[in-house]
Amino acid sequence: MTQLYVVESADFLFLQHQLEMTPGNLSAHLSKLEKVGYVEIVKEFIERKPHTALKLTKKGRSAFKEYQQNLKQVFSNLSK
Amino acid sequence: MTEKNSLREIEKKTYMSYHQDGLLDIFVGVYILLFGIGILLMTMTNFSTWFVIPAIFPAIMVPIWISAKKRITMPRIGYVKFGVKGANKMMAIFLGLTVAGLGVFTVFGLGASMGESWALTLRDFLISNYMIIIGIAAVTISSLFAYTMGLKRLYGYGLLTLVLFFTGYFIVIPFEYFLVTIGLVIIISGFVLLMRFIRKYPLPQGDKINAQESF
Repeated sequence: MTQLYVVESADFLFLQHQLEMTPGNLSAHLSKLEKVGYVEIVKEFIERKPHTALKLTKKGRSAFKEYQQNLKQVFSNLSK
Repeated sequence: MTEKNSLREIEKKTYMSYHQDGLLDIFVGVYILLFGIGILLMTMTNFSTWFVIPAIFPAIMVPIWISAKKRITMPRIGYVKFGVKGANKMMAIFLGLTVAGLGVFTVFGLGASMGESWALTLRDFLISNYMIIIGIAAVTISSLFAYTMGLKRLYGYGLLTLVLFFTGYFIVIPFEYFLVTIGLVIIISGFVLLMRFIRKYPLPQGDKINAQESF
């Protein structure tokens, strides 16, 4: 989710290289994220070839921000 | 602050992986080389039209660069679309540098045309130290882009330009030869990166394509 948070969209191959995950592993992660509505699958054509891009939904972005806030809270509580 | 920094690091890493193919280096190198050759031919033949070559280069080469990205880079490491924020940052640097440059030249030009003593002194200073000034400008611009894009080799190119132009200040060698040298070094570096990239990321085989298509 962090990887998709910093870009507008990316395809499966790019995410796989960036995250150093196997296709099956990444596929399982993305399926779960899609089921909860955090990731959107965009089907498009690039140079007349079908292409599938993945992007974070609004719900996914706000969930990620919330997660960040929670983590920040945990660490600030630990340092007290 | 820390989480912002780590997100920034991930963003930089993404930019870096997208430009690790060396294509940007090859095209920038060719541009600098053409500038050098343009000036060289102009001084050799007294035919100023040679200068048109580097001037029209971006219009011809940008579509070729995009096409090369689509044919070489994307099939190997995949496709990524950067957010508007990143593009805006790059555009802000580019516009900032252009406005600053034009501003300095306008003020300086007006002052010189009006015979202002400070402008004339500055003009003489610029003319006598132009090699050092170009070197400092090159290292500043490349460092700005290196920092924004996370491409550390741009620091190297800037430093190389600074060293060469500093040397040129002390050893009398025509300016265009330095441009040709820098252009060639960047092109060679680009080709080395491209070779490494092609070897590191071969075209994906069946199982990867199938996994990708299931999405």
